[in-house]
Amino acid sequence: MDEKLLSIDSAVNELIKKAKEDGVETIFDRKENMKPCPMGEKGICCRICAMGPCRITPKTPRGLCGATADVIVSRNFARMVAGGAAAHSDHGRDIAHVLHMTSKDGNYKVTDEEKLKELAKRWKIETEGRDIYDIAHEVAEFALNEFGKPFGTLEFPPSLPEQRKKVWENLNIVPRAIDREVVTIMHSTHVGCTADADSMLNISMRTAISDGWGGSYIATELSDILFGTPIPRETEANLGVLEENQVNIVLHGHEPSLSEMIVLAAEDPELIELAKEVGADGINLAGMCCTANEVTMRHGVKIAGNFAQQELAVLTGAVEAVIVDVQCIFPALASLAECYHTKFITTSPKARITGATHIEFDEEKALESAKQIVREAILNFKNRKKEKVFIPKTKSHAMVGYSTKAIINQLDKVVNSHIDKPGTVKPLADCITSGVLRGAAGIVGCNNPKVKHDYGHVEMIKELIKNDVIVVTTGCAAQAAAKAGLLSKDARKLAGKGLATVCELVDIPPVLHMGSCVDISRILELVGLVAKQLNVDISELPVVGAAPEWMSEKAVSIGTYVVSSGIDTWLGVAPPVTGGPRVLEILTSEMENMVGAKFFVEPDPIKAAHQMIEKIEQKRKVLEEKFENIKAVAQA
Amino acid sequence: MSLFKTIFTGSNQALQAAKEFLNKVIEEKGRDHKVAFPDTAYSLPIIYAATGQKMNTLGDLEGALEVVKSLIGEEKENLENALNAGLGTAVASEVIEAIKYATIDTPYSEPCAGHITDSVIRSLGVPLVTGDIPGVAVVLGECPDSEIAAKIIKDYQSKGLLTFLVGKVIDQAIEADVKMGLDLRVIPLGYDVTAVIHVVSVAVRAALIFGALEPGDLEGLLDYTLNRVPAFVNAFGPLSELVVSAGAGAIALGFPVITDQDVFEVPTRLLTQKDYDKFVATSLEARGIKIKITEIPIPVAFAAAFEGERIRKGD
Ligand code: SF4
Ligand code: SF4
Repeated sequence: MDEKLLSIDSAVNELIKKAKEDGVETIFDRKENMKPCPMGEKGICCRICAMGPCRITPKTPRGLCGATADVIVSRNFARMVAGGAAAHSDHGRDIAHVLHMTSKDGNYKVTDEEKLKELAKRWKIETEGRDIYDIAHEVAEFALNEFGKPFGTLEFPPSLPEQRKKVWENLNIVPRAIDREVVTIMHSTHVGCTADADSMLNISMRTAISDGWGGSYIATELSDILFGTPIPRETEANLGVLEENQVNIVLHGHEPSLSEMIVLAAEDPELIELAKEVGADGINLAGMCCTANEVTMRHGVKIAGNFAQQELAVLTGAVEAVIVDVQCIFPALASLAECYHTKFITTSPKARITGATHIEFDEEKALESAKQIVREAILNFKNRKKEKVFIPKTKSHAMVGYSTKAIINQLDKVVNSHIDKPGTVKPLADCITSGVLRGAAGIVGCNNPKVKHDYGHVEMIKELIKNDVIVVTTGCAAQAAAKAGLLSKDARKLAGKGLATVCELVDIPPVLHMGSCVDISRILELVGLVAKQLNVDISELPVVGAAPEWMSEKAVSIGTYVVSSGIDTWLGVAPPVTGGPRVLEILTSEMENMVGAKFFVEPDPIKAAHQMIEKIEQKRKVLEEKFENIKAVAQA
Repeated sequence: MSLFKTIFTGSNQALQAAKEFLNKVIEEKGRDHKVAFPDTAYSLPIIYAATGQKMNTLGDLEGALEVVKSLIGEEKENLENALNAGLGTAVASEVIEAIKYATIDTPYSEPCAGHITDSVIRSLGVPLVTGDIPGVAVVLGECPDSEIAAKIIKDYQSKGLLTFLVGKVIDQAIEADVKMGLDLRVIPLGYDVTAVIHVVSVAVRAALIFGALEPGDLEGLLDYTLNRVPAFVNAFGPLSELVVSAGAGAIALGFPVITDQDVFEVPTRLLTQKDYDKFVATSLEARGIKIKITEIPIPVAFAAAFEGERIRKGD
């Protein structure tokens, strides 16, 4: 195993070396030994009923039931979408439950009243003269109904342009209730149901839309209401944020309802005192994956690392506890933690892991519960084995907290008060139509050992900003950017003149961290608002998306709703659809005629960036023609 | 057409016009014919400040046009190239104006000033530094009527700004009886767009004289004009490609352009203001100029009565 090929992050490479010395395995070793099945890789293996498993070969072009390669591939794809949409949506539902639990003197409170009232107004819930908690509970109930209402269609947020909605209506992919869409996929993919790739992909789009503009959107909005809408703040990223002389607690997972309480608990004077009693200088929280994004966006909690680094955090020997809830948590952490003093603590009944210490997080007694978990971590400090500790020095400065609201606030800085009103995305739209910014790209998604760790994210982002394409980022891509220093305002020196000028005027870094994976809904919101500002459809904007190192089903759902929203999307890893020619045809070509965007697969991030830039320039040309009425510039 | 393409088009027009003019006069007068602006120690100031080269003859100007060509560059649309192309227009305009001075006896006459001499610039230096002159307005083009023109120019005048006029707005100002002259801080430059170069020349020589700028330090020049010369441009009436590309030159120097026409706006740099009553306020805000007016209204000629202070927005 050649270490140099594994990551562009020196902290990662150093710890992989330590893993070898310590005689423990990591994902990088398991990847080495795993030979992916070529059938699965192409998506032509079906295990949907007990007549199978069936696989498509030249000799067996159909499954026992007669399903063709395209049918099997489309069903497998649809189930990936369903898995992803379910994960995001269940997350959203939980947050809605937490909002329903809020009370004036409870653990969970309403933090952003203004946002709550906005949402209430949108949903026609009375706000005048009412107690804020009464409003919150009714809003929560409304949100919960979005998951399972028997009739009607999803309530779309005001950022969705009318043109886009029309596109969906014409294709009959306007989602109904969120859960219902997931269930429909599970139904339609059952043996003997949908056997038409086109239809299966339509259903997939509808489900994905119910995630992006439904489950994820709700998760983000309600999280902001509960825990505050993020504003710009500073933080640090990479494993170097772990402290030699403190109780290091790594928060890993997704839902802020747990992590917010842990943040509070870690500030508890009694617990800080306890940490001192056991010989530590204090409590050091560090985040991982999307939980990291949630708490860094709202509190500036430091970022330990992204998906591929979760084992490496334990390998430092300096982590007292890894506290997890749901999603993207390696079960491998259980046995790995045994080799060190680290406590691997699961908290959610939705994600129990054999070998982990399970302390169920009780939302009814949230703070109490969180304190108990933190206490557990503190008491573990004395078990730390000094000789096993190695914390890489690497860490980078980063600016985080760019919610849509925060971005608009920054844009207000460049509004001329005698021409425009503050509080809109017009300055951003102007920068794009004038060409100062060539376009915008959303770089999102995971890590995947099939590609060199972080290489795809970082190289793509650098290439884009160099060409005056502003980048917004979420998820593990955002953390890769943070670690590479791209979220620092200093990074504007890597940007082209146009983007650098905008960064200077607006006082932002060239790459904006917009949050966790559910916060991709913020990107939809921002893009939707710009489209509405210009009175065009999202698909007409010079905007692209990419997931250079994606791996999860959530990423499949995300990619699908992003494309369905009209944004061309580049994947750095091929999805398991190559065995279905019709499916491939639709995803990488025909979707363009349907929703105005499609998927591209390009493993080389620089090549992909150039394709993205080319696409951006094409879209600019078309948009330019549309704005010919501004020809006054050229005439006369 | 996209904003940047418009700029490239205008810059190429400027280059073409300069080239044709130059070829023609070289044919008539020969390459060795002398070139100079009156009463300046800085040769062709823009070219001198940007490249460090002094232009002495018509033949030298051929080299200057090579500089223009390289500034217009490959025309890949982005801000960097667009601003360079704008600077290219400035250089090409200076070449055209220099040829006028080299080949025409009196290229400018009343009311137009054309080239501004070094001694005038030296006399403007102190009030600019003290903020007695809080800003420099470049008003070019044609207002909808002379009343609007006069209102805007007089407003700048009353605030102590130094206002340069280029184009038909000069006639409009005369028609509306605006009092003009250096001591009244309203200076008509000329009717051709290229005459705008004489105010750019003022800014550039300010950098050389007061900013001790090394000739050839283009970056230093742009930094000085952006941060030290509180100028801005008001462009009225239909905008030709040439005007737009000249505007890009202004923006490259750090001077915002405010116009009454529909353009692709660039926040803080290129703005559309349709309300003429708000034109002055919009411009001052865009350039971060704040005017402090003393209690007693005094005629504008006593400009020292106006204390000006420039601040950046958000300070
Ligand atoms: S559903 Fe059809 S293809 Fe799939 S396992 Fe059953 S028989 Fe085989
Ligand atoms: S980006 Fe991917 S790996 Fe990272 S938290 Fe989100 S889904 Fe998990």
